[in-house]
Amino acid sequence: MSSEIIQVLKEDGTVSPLFKKETDLTEQDLKKIYETMILTRVYEERSLKLQRSGRIGFYIGCKGQEASHIGSAYALKMDDWVFPAYREPGVLFLRGIALKTMICQMMGNAGDPTMGRQMPCHYSYKEGNNGSVSSPLATQIPHAVGIAYAAKYMKHKIVSLTYFGEGSTSEGDFHTGLNFAAVFKSPVVFICQNNQWAISVPVARQTVSESIAIKAKAYGMPGIKVDGNDVLAMYQVTKDAVERARNGDGPTLIESFTYRLGSHSSSDDAARYRPEGELESWEQKDPIIRFEKYLLSENILTPESIKKIKDDAEEEFTQAVKEAEKVGLPPLETLFTGVYKDMPESLREQMEDLINEQKRLGASEDNSMAFPL
Amino acid sequence: MISLYKNLFYQSLRIRMVEEKIIEIYPSDKIQSPVHLSIGQEAVAVGICNNLLKTDLLYSSYRSHAYYLAKGANLNKMFAELYGKVTGCGKGKAGSMHLAEKSVGFMGSSAVVASTISHAVGSALASKRLNKNQVCVATFGDGASEEGSYHESLNFASVFKLPVLFVCENNGLAIHSTIDQRHSYKIHEHAKSYNLKSTYIEEGYDFMKINSLISETINEIKLTGLPQVVEIKTYRYKEHVGIGDDHHVPYRSSKDFDNWKSVDPLIQDKTLINEFSEKINAEIEAAVNFAEQSEFPADSELFTDIY
Repeated sequence: MSSEIIQVLKEDGTVSPLFKKETDLTEQDLKKIYETMILTRVYEERSLKLQRSGRIGFYIGCKGQEASHIGSAYALKMDDWVFPAYREPGVLFLRGIALKTMICQMMGNAGDPTMGRQMPCHYSYKEGNNGSVSSPLATQIPHAVGIAYAAKYMKHKIVSLTYFGEGSTSEGDFHTGLNFAAVFKSPVVFICQNNQWAISVPVARQTVSESIAIKAKAYGMPGIKVDGNDVLAMYQVTKDAVERARNGDGPTLIESFTYRLGSHSSSDDAARYRPEGELESWEQKDPIIRFEKYLLSENILTPESIKKIKDDAEEEFTQAVKEAEKVGLPPLETLFTGVYKDMPESLREQMEDLINEQKRLGASEDNSMAFPL
Repeated sequence: MISLYKNLFYQSLRIRMVEEKIIEIYPSDKIQSPVHLSIGQEAVAVGICNNLLKTDLLYSSYRSHAYYLAKGANLNKMFAELYGKVTGCGKGKAGSMHLAEKSVGFMGSSAVVASTISHAVGSALASKRLNKNQVCVATFGDGASEEGSYHESLNFASVFKLPVLFVCENNGLAIHSTIDQRHSYKIHEHAKSYNLKSTYIEEGYDFMKINSLISETINEIKLTGLPQVVEIKTYRYKEHVGIGDDHHVPYRSSKDFDNWKSVDPLIQDKTLINEFSEKINAEIEAAVNFAEQSEFPADSELFTDIY
């Protein structure tokens, strides 16, 4: 149950014959998954450049984990819920968010649905049933369990899925979340993206269990360890877990065994703590390269169509940044809105006073794009 | 020399008789704090503490009277504390749920479920760093194992290889909730997910058996420096909080209660009860008198013992 690691797509780009025969993924699906992985990779590389040139304040990414989160999220229906950690932008793309909205969020301007109130990359996408990204670790686990419990109680046939890192398994919320979900057979799928590092703490300092997946056994639920750089295995394993949950058979813990190819965030330098050669060996297992090999060998894509997908993603990003940069700052009243459903009179007075003060003194100079931030 | 059985019996009986005295006094309202009685669970505290040195540190839950006494703290100071008197172990500011006596290594108890488990772990980390050959013990109920702090503590102790003994006194009830309504796991099996050695005792009334297992466990912890978990099945005779019986409330059956009473040495061994009762009663009477005659803390005590 625990030490075995599930793999469908081998590193040479070949797949098991059984998968080919049984999968419900069409060529269209495979292309969609690939395009989303490319967009996510481009989004990361370009966003880091935006951060380094001072156009956004912070970035936290998922390079190397595209298969892990995009493959798994593809197994969900649109009315299912996702409670992300902070390394799953591809899930938002799959669920239909506009690229411009994502960039506006990182800029914290008026195009950001949260109006600049959250840190960059702390997206919130209610329309896509995607819970808000939060910096505190593991808080999304009880949220996912709670919504699954509610869904079961209200007899809604939905499933909730939550992502967290292996560092979060040391949090109390992991334990209480898994226990509660198991006792109440809540329809939830737990995906631990074990990327080997919690900032600079290696997984060996996080737990002495032989795997993350084996922890499921303690809670009487299935625990499955998957090659997280194998997008097809991630899809298949998640699909099975989602079906179990939807059929009323309770939660599943999936350990996606993967690797963070980038630093923890734009504020970190992983070269200071990674052992020599580790990054290089994982770069050989890049999930995009592996999936590309498969798509080429099956003639689903050609070198030309791959180039076009990549060029289109670059161009889409360029255009989205141009448009996002035209959007102004959030209006002054957003300092006051979004807290109460009906604003108390005392707060309304303060808001009006401040707006009148702004009218009297004039707006300050907009230096939001000045370098450095 | 008094035999081990007699010694452990005496200690257990003393705890039970102290609590029976509390039941007698409680309606007078002289004891103002809530009381969580250990009656039925005395053997666990006695079996553990018999194997601890004064320098080994113990942290318990709010069901703490048994631990306070088993660890060797002073009975006069306990009654004084329950009475809220300045001669109490916490100068009358702590009450029943927060008994502590640093001089004998009973480091604290708390009303907040599972909160003292992490204290035991932190104190074990300190002992390891300071090279003290000391075991830190956390005792808690089955309900506490559902708390995040429990999970964090076991994981931390395991990763950092700390000399902690975690003892769950599983009385099967978190107030009124039974264990199957709360647990997807068995406590001693769940502990293995942290790669911890764990053992289980079904006979929580048997202080001899508990004593011998804990003795072995403590020796192993001192030898290896590694944490372990012990789960002991036990039975809470009284209601969760207070002095009443609650078997008429339909969340548990009186049949189980009868089964426990039928094997409880503190009920069955009439010879030893007769032998020890007089001496224990005299000690208790003296302690109650001490409490009655002590003063309440002065107003100025409101500001002391904080910083």
